[in-house]
Amino acid sequence: MPYPILDPTGTTATAAATKTRAPRAPRRRDLRGTTVGLLVNTKQNAAPFLDEVGRLLVQQHGATGTMARTKVNFAAPAPDDLVKEMTTGCDVIITGIGDCGSCSASAVADGIAFEAAGLPAAAICSDAFAVTADAMAELRGAPGYRYATTPHPVAVLTPDQVKQRAAQVLGDVMNLLTEPE
Amino acid sequence: MTPTPDPEEAQAAIEYCYAQGWSDGLPLVPASQPLVEKFLATTSRNPDEVIGELEQVGRNCTVYLAAVNAAMAGCLPEYFPVVLAAFDALMRERAARGGGWQSTSGPAPMIVVNGPVRHELGFNTAGGAFGPGFRPNATVARAIGLIVRNAFGIRPHVLEQATQGLPGRWSICLAENEEESPWPPFAVDGGQPAGVSAVSATLLRTCEFVDNRHTPDPEHVLNDIADTISRTGSLIFRDTSAGVVFCPEHAQMLAGAGFTKQDVQAWLMEHCGRTGADLRRAGKNGLRGIARFADADTSGDGTFTRILPSSRHVPIVVAGARNAAISMVVRVFGEWSGTAVEVST
Repeated sequence: MPYPILDPTGTTATAAATKTRAPRAPRRRDLRGTTVGLLVNTKQNAAPFLDEVGRLLVQQHGATGTMARTKVNFAAPAPDDLVKEMTTGCDVIITGIGDCGSCSASAVADGIAFEAAGLPAAAICSDAFAVTADAMAELRGAPGYRYATTPHPVAVLTPDQVKQRAAQVLGDVMNLLTEPE
Repeated sequence: MTPTPDPEEAQAAIEYCYAQGWSDGLPLVPASQPLVEKFLATTSRNPDEVIGELEQVGRNCTVYLAAVNAAMAGCLPEYFPVVLAAFDALMRERAARGGGWQSTSGPAPMIVVNGPVRHELGFNTAGGAFGPGFRPNATVARAIGLIVRNAFGIRPHVLEQATQGLPGRWSICLAENEEESPWPPFAVDGGQPAGVSAVSATLLRTCEFVDNRHTPDPEHVLNDIADTISRTGSLIFRDTSAGVVFCPEHAQMLAGAGFTKQDVQAWLMEHCGRTGADLRRAGKNGLRGIARFADADTSGDGTFTRILPSSRHVPIVVAGARNAAISMVVRVFGEWSGTAVEVST
């Protein structure tokens, strides 16, 4: 055959950037005295969900307080200055809620970005988006990156149901932030 | 008699492309260097020029990759400047640069071609504007889909999370029926001079027909269109955007009654909307930021809420045959950039 069939993906040229394995931050022994960063992505119920997770971490696990910030563009990774601000002001990070095609992937990407900045992170995604969250982790050089899931759907939950969900996911969040690898 | 190409070789090449995961489900034309060079020869742009980037997935598209995908989509080389213009136009859409391709909405590009290039390349400008049957219309739209799949790496069930998607994804490329339109070409609304070959593009959530062929009153037609645009099922934010692809008959009826395109847009902006009671029944009367939600408050029941904030949110195109009064409401995903891109070689 005189000519090969051409590859339309261009991945041989661009894959180099993702070959190195993304760093994972050292885990904490516990959350006593920590400030918990809450990176809220504006999806319906994300703010009350993360607020409640933060409140429970303070009440039950000795965190000192929370610092909540909102990511305006849920589809894109958090901007660098926001990552920097939260890295400076927080000890651990919760991101979410990954509840759509692009925002689940980017919630995980944000978690990985904070890991690289040295902060243990726990992304929370709806379980309907696990495949896309895993695909993003792989793209970011962190195949198998662990995150917490909550059953789909999240957007329709009442305030009381959101609190129940936050309580249900708390153990997984603690395991993600404090369990040594 | 020239022997026909070897079908078994062709089948093997097609199956090879399937096995690599490059196909959208239909057979691809296997691209070779000589074929792709013919595409690249139609443009003065550097093959290495990056024409689109998706930061969140770390992927981009170059002129070269666009050419490979356009060849695989079945385009002829001379279509390539239209593919590039269509892709440039799409990259002006906020949703297409952001998370739109990954969205549960599964939006479809709508590409609109204007100017002499329509006839030079044999685009269908008449009946069956949304339908299949014409190589330029079908393959230019498909090329965009293959670029998203292959160059951006957005594949169904993985980074693409469409819940249901929509009919016509990767197949909507209209060539405006300028000859039977009473109004200036769509590309003029996008800032291009009349008579220039240009491409406009936006993303759609669906297309909905309005069949209204038994009235002489243009306001009947506009009210019928307004009813479709105002459907609560499509409302998820405070504002919406819905274009109309008018058939020539409706467009000519409106123009005959003195409506300019701007008049039609203004009429629809004024009349499209719902009462608070209608929205409350659908659980969409409350606003949290710009998102609609179910609010028990009934105080707004009597208020009529308009949903189209500007004329740019009501793009108007004329397409199809003049054989029946059937127009299409096209539901825009996000909002149209309001610009058209000249087809340059």
